[in-house]
Amino acid sequence: MTLVPDGMFKLLISLITGVVAGAWTIHDLVLLARLRGANRRDSLVGDQRFGYVMGIVIGMIGVVGTLIFMRSNGVL
Amino acid sequence: MMAATAAVDEAVASRAAAPRVVSPWNPANAVTASRYLTLPPLWWAIDHGYHQYATLFILICALLDKLDGLAARIFDCRSTFGELFDAITDGICYGFGLILVAAYGWAPVVPVVFVIALGLFNTGLRGVYLRRAGRAVNYKSYAMERIVAYTGYLIGFATSGMEVRFFYWAFMPVMLVIVLHDAKRMLVDPIPGPTPAPTARAVS
Repeated sequence: MTLVPDGMFKLLISLITGVVAGAWTIHDLVLLARLRGANRRDSLVGDQRFGYVMGIVIGMIGVVGTLIFMRSNGVL
Repeated sequence: MMAATAAVDEAVASRAAAPRVVSPWNPANAVTASRYLTLPPLWWAIDHGYHQYATLFILICALLDKLDGLAARIFDCRSTFGELFDAITDGICYGFGLILVAAYGWAPVVPVVFVIALGLFNTGLRGVYLRRAGRAVNYKSYAMERIVAYTGYLIGFATSGMEVRFFYWAFMPVMLVIVLHDAKRMLVDPIPGPTPAPTARAVS
C-alpha cells in the first residue's frame, strides 16, 4: 500500500531532506556569523556558538546524505 | 481619594510582581499531547511494511513538535511545565520510533542502542543539574535542540529507506560530542541565576 509512486516518493523525501538540511546549514551559518563580536567568556554565548557549529555539521551531513541517496537511486 | 489611588497602585504593583500562572491545559500542551496519537498508526504502518505511511506519520509527529512552540508563542502560554512536557514527549515519541525501526530491522541496532543510552544518560545529567540548581529550571542547550531534530529525522530515514547506514553511523560521533559538552556544562560549570520575572511598566 503506497501513497505515491516509488520514484515520486524518493524525489519527495530527497527534496524535503535536502532543502531542510541546506536551509538549516545557512541558518546556523548566519547565526554564527552574528556572534562574531560577542563576549567569548559569556557561557550563554559559548553555548550558542557550539550549538550553531553542531547545527552546521548536522546540516552538512543531511546535504551529503541526500546527494549520496539521489546519486545511488538515479534521482540526480 | 488619595488612599484609594494608593490602594489601586499597590494592587497593580503586587499583580506585576507575582509570577504569571499558566494553566497546563493550554493549546500548546494540547498540540504536544496530540503527538502521542501518531505512535499507534506508526507502529501499524511499520508492522505492515508500509514505508510511505510510516514516513508520513513520523513527519506529522515532527511537524507537531514545531507547531507546539508556535502555539505557545501565539497564545502566550509558555511555561516551565510546557517545556518539560515537550522534552519528555520528544524522548518518548522518538525513543519509541527508534526502538520500532530497530526491532523491525529497518535501522541498525548498534547506533539505536547508542542513541537511546546517551539520551538516558543526558536525562540523568538533567536530574543532577536540577539538584545542583535546587529549583525548577529548564536546562537549555542549543546543540541538544539540533540533535533532537536530527533524531526525529533518523526515524524518517529508516522508514523511507534513505541512506540509513550513513545517517545512523554519522549521528553517533555528533551526539557523543554534544552529550560530553553538555555533561561538562551541567556537572562542572556554574549555574546561571534565576531569570527575573517579567514586570509591568511602572504606573506613573
